[in-house]
Amino acid sequence: MPSLQTGYAPNLGVFLKSLKTAPLESSIENLISLLKRRQIRNSRPCAIATAHLLLRVVAKFRWTDIGNLLQRIQEVGQRLVEAQPREMVVGNIVRRVLGMIRDEAKEDRTEDASDSTSTSQLGSPGRERSDSGDLRTEGGVSSFSPLRFATTDASNLSEASGDDIFQGRSPLTSRPPLLTSHTSYAVLNGVPVQQSMFNLLSATPTPSSTPPHSSPSHGKSKITATSLAQRIATSTRDLKAEVISGIEEIIDELDQVDDQIAAYAQEHIHSNEVVLTHSSSLSVQKFLLKAAEKRKFTVIIAESYPNDHEATHAAVIGKVSSNLESDEMSTETFLKPLSAAGITVILMTDATIFAIMSRVNKVILATHAVIASGGLIAAAGARIIAKAAKVHKTPVIVVSGVYKLSPEYPFEFESLIEYGDPGNIIGYGEGALVDHLEVDNPVYDYVPPDLVDLYITNLGAHAPSYLYRIVADHYKPEDINFHKPELQF
Amino acid sequence: MSQKNTKNAAGGGKGAPKGKKGAAGGKKTEDEREETLQAVVLADSFETRFNPFTLETPRCLLPLANTPLIEYTLEFLAMSGVADIYIYCGAHTEEVERYIQVSKWHPSAPASPFNSLEIVKTTARSVGDALRDLDARDLITGDFLLVHGDLVSNLPIDAALAAHRARRTADKNSIMTMILRAGGLGSHRTKSKGITPVFVIDPTKNRCLHYEEMHSLQANKYVNIDPELLTTHTEMEIRTDLIDCGIDICTPDVLALWAESFDYEVPRRHFLHGVLKDYELNGKTIHTEIVDEHYAARVFNLQSYEAVSKDVLGRWTYPLVPDSNLVAGQTYKFERGGLYKENGVILARTCKAGKRTVLGKDTSIGDGSMVSNSIIGRRCHIGKNVTIQNAYIWDDVVVGDGSTIDRAIVANEAVIGKRCKIQPGSLLSYGVRIADNKEVREGSRITQAKRGEPPVAKSTDTSIVGDGGEGYQFSEEEDSDDEGVAFHSTLVYSTSHLNISNESISTLNSNFSIASPTQNRSRLSSFAGSVSDDGDPNSSNESFHHDAVNGLIDALKEGDDFDSAKLEFMGLRLSNNASDHQVRRAIAVAFAKRIAQLVEGEKLEATKAAAKAFGAPGADKFLKEVAIGTKNLEDDQVDFITCLQKDLVHRGNGAIILAAISKELYQMDILEEEAFFRWWEESEALGEAEDKEMKRVREKTAVLIQWFRDNEGDDSSGGSEEDEDEDESD
Repeated sequence: MPSLQTGYAPNLGVFLKSLKTAPLESSIENLISLLKRRQIRNSRPCAIATAHLLLRVVAKFRWTDIGNLLQRIQEVGQRLVEAQPREMVVGNIVRRVLGMIRDEAKEDRTEDASDSTSTSQLGSPGRERSDSGDLRTEGGVSSFSPLRFATTDASNLSEASGDDIFQGRSPLTSRPPLLTSHTSYAVLNGVPVQQSMFNLLSATPTPSSTPPHSSPSHGKSKITATSLAQRIATSTRDLKAEVISGIEEIIDELDQVDDQIAAYAQEHIHSNEVVLTHSSSLSVQKFLLKAAEKRKFTVIIAESYPNDHEATHAAVIGKVSSNLESDEMSTETFLKPLSAAGITVILMTDATIFAIMSRVNKVILATHAVIASGGLIAAAGARIIAKAAKVHKTPVIVVSGVYKLSPEYPFEFESLIEYGDPGNIIGYGEGALVDHLEVDNPVYDYVPPDLVDLYITNLGAHAPSYLYRIVADHYKPEDINFHKPELQF
Repeated sequence: MSQKNTKNAAGGGKGAPKGKKGAAGGKKTEDEREETLQAVVLADSFETRFNPFTLETPRCLLPLANTPLIEYTLEFLAMSGVADIYIYCGAHTEEVERYIQVSKWHPSAPASPFNSLEIVKTTARSVGDALRDLDARDLITGDFLLVHGDLVSNLPIDAALAAHRARRTADKNSIMTMILRAGGLGSHRTKSKGITPVFVIDPTKNRCLHYEEMHSLQANKYVNIDPELLTTHTEMEIRTDLIDCGIDICTPDVLALWAESFDYEVPRRHFLHGVLKDYELNGKTIHTEIVDEHYAARVFNLQSYEAVSKDVLGRWTYPLVPDSNLVAGQTYKFERGGLYKENGVILARTCKAGKRTVLGKDTSIGDGSMVSNSIIGRRCHIGKNVTIQNAYIWDDVVVGDGSTIDRAIVANEAVIGKRCKIQPGSLLSYGVRIADNKEVREGSRITQAKRGEPPVAKSTDTSIVGDGGEGYQFSEEEDSDDEGVAFHSTLVYSTSHLNISNESISTLNSNFSIASPTQNRSRLSSFAGSVSDDGDPNSSNESFHHDAVNGLIDALKEGDDFDSAKLEFMGLRLSNNASDHQVRRAIAVAFAKRIAQLVEGEKLEATKAAAKAFGAPGADKFLKEVAIGTKNLEDDQVDFITCLQKDLVHRGNGAIILAAISKELYQMDILEEEAFFRWWEESEALGEAEDKEMKRVREKTAVLIQWFRDNEGDDSSGGSEEDEDEDESD
């Protein structure tokens, strides 16, 4: 619900402030209630709140082993997701943190393993994946998933699962060949390097993907009890720091995602085009403003009555309402209005979309969440726009941060659509209408993938059919159903 | 800037606010100081409108859409960022306490957004008593929210709060801001039916100038506005379209005012009306914040229970809807068409669970049954071919095959047999069993609750529930002084049982002894019919009445010599050109009020209270000279008794007090036997046309009249054996 900054009503800002002092459990419960009461709503605030909360969870966690941490985060994540299943970003952020912890743990163990048994280190036929984009992305998250059926030496069974030492990232095409030798490739800064004890110590890894500490060398001696204990102590502490910095990177990503997306704007919007968009998304707004720096074009904005029209009007005129400000929690909300950026802006009602579509060159949509199938959940009205665009063969471009991309593939899309307050449609004062009508006010629309032509994320432009690939890069398969224990295998 | 500490403190557990307050003082003025927001929840309504359910459960724990009412209220307060909460409970305090203890709201629970939550058990019998008690406890330090424990709202309160702050900083005397929801013209299900609140507002300043309640039984349809207001305010709105959701933002001054006026009982009809009336005296202003977005309503009677339930199902209260799963353990999911279903619901393949329906966990519905626009609780068992519409069925209810339930409330663990028909407006309370093939008539209220002292289960009335059933027809106790009972106690609002037709309204007008029982205090004009010679009352007379009553009560309280009071009174009378009748009425009201206070406040017996009040020095002379007039006409005496009677109608123990007063006045030779006879006969002569309340009040005086009659025969032997126990009837 909208709230003024000056009041008592809790919102994202208040929540983030309280995180520093409040006990963890009450912070979790607090976020759950805020989500339930929709006092934190929409993708970005939800994502920011979740990431900050998980940061606290990790920081406060009394470390025993990695499994416990994963379990703890799963448990917290499950509660958050249940609080508001339709805010899919909450689940996304939890999954990414889980995936990142798994990766960090793996790296860590691998290093230990390579310390003690360097010669037998396996070059498992691990697949390497990494982000196709060259933008600064989250650390460690996008690395790889190991294959557990890797061949192992009998002497090394205990470390069978820690057999990956890939630390860098490589273009997707450079999949290492299946190795049978006892060597493996690590790819450092794009250069394949033969992996050995030697290289491990000499090469300088990319800062984002290796632990900052240099792992203690134990030579080839057997692991004694004391050294093991010591190693656990040091490694856990560092692992924790690692995880925390990983979450911080996710938070950074959330901050920068709009600017990263906007960087692609000029490739997609050309001079004298007519662009149609809908509702007031910060991402879209920045995207258009960026394009407007170089080009002159026309933007037609459908006002998306009744849920977002006020915000849309504000975006056009440039009056940033306090509500928007607090929701977005961004310092740069004082955006130049579109009209001031030299773009011709036309505001129109949703009903005229079809009529005007024939003149439109491009449709740009914002999203609430993107589903692995390539479909998306967006503000109500998006589907009608996409459908009209389809009929007129107008390309539909969806602008979305990768954090909105969810690995979930819901059985029925109806369940993802939230029904809001009918008071936005007819006033509650209309006694007769209230009494005799049933008024539905869906807040979101589901747009199937065949109505979308292109996704622009912070990683670049993708076809809808390619999204599954990005999903696979960002989330571990074992985390996809973390919130449904009954579906885990 | 004031947001800063609320949440921090909320997390930090208890004990923080005091220290913070001290630290925050410094150079800032008091008004700008950061304060935590406090709230007072009146969990007990001190009413009986939800009987028979509230015999066994406190109102705030009654389920609305399968969530206890107080959850909505507390959720609203949490949403507003309230830090400290005081919950005032009367009846069933233990149950509320137990509920809060295990809920997420208790400050020891990690989920609690509140710093402190205190449950105050009170013996108060009205809202006014509770607030006076609150004032005495000195718990409130700053602005606070006063809400009822049955509020459902998703309203962001910050804007109203900021406006209130601004006004208070500008003017210390603006003590309260009421939040009202515009309900539009025309009928609206959530508006109060029967009784219409009338707000007179100055829209330029959002100031409330006058408040009255009107209802369809009352004789005149006028609002009396002080002409003074018309001259001082250039704009004025008279609004009857507002839904009063009972959210008040108050300063501590409000409590002080409550404490000063010890006879105020209810927040609106007494307090608001009185404070606005006394603006000249105390200079306090009350403002309104009229919102036309978001939802805010109170579940103050069964009709509003139904209306708010429908609003919840229609998602008007979003996000306070079932699928938000506000209470821990709920697993509601929203399905297209408005079906809210919890996990574990078993629906037979051929049943139709239709639109706008809530189904609780582990409820099963049999083949061929139809459910629409209804709320069904957990673990209910609905048989085959059952039709349920517009019904509110709570937990663990069993409905037998082939039954029909239409627009009824069925409480926990009730059992309805096979092929029963539950007609609209029926209320089946906890554990009631209806035998097979029974038809429950419209508007029945069936309960099993134990009543009386010591509690005894009343025997089952098989004519109501059938052979093998359990329960009996609940009947309202006659002495309930909730004057709204006529409007409020039924689920289906209808005025048919109230016998209002044009005809009867016209009798109301022509018949002087029937006055509105509820509104004597504010509505002089309801007495208009009885005043034969001195024309229409106007508002200056209203103010005369008001001032005169207050003056007399002060004199009575202080027990001073009445002479000075008399002087003052006569002065008032002359300056207002008050009629004799008005004078009598003022005196009658003053004495009746004082005596009622003595009876209730100091627990005196009615006779002693009457003796004490009339025994004040000079009172005797005052009454003789002023009230009755030296001419001692019988007419005047009758009029005086009638005035007393009318006033006592709305006081507790009115009947007993009237008997006591009558006796006392007779002994003092102020009233004579003849007057009593005439009064009695006139009342009797009315027969059926007489107002029920009026009749009730005079019943106890029958003994006295009888005694007069007996004595008349044997040659009035003097007043020695007066100590006959007329008052034993209490």
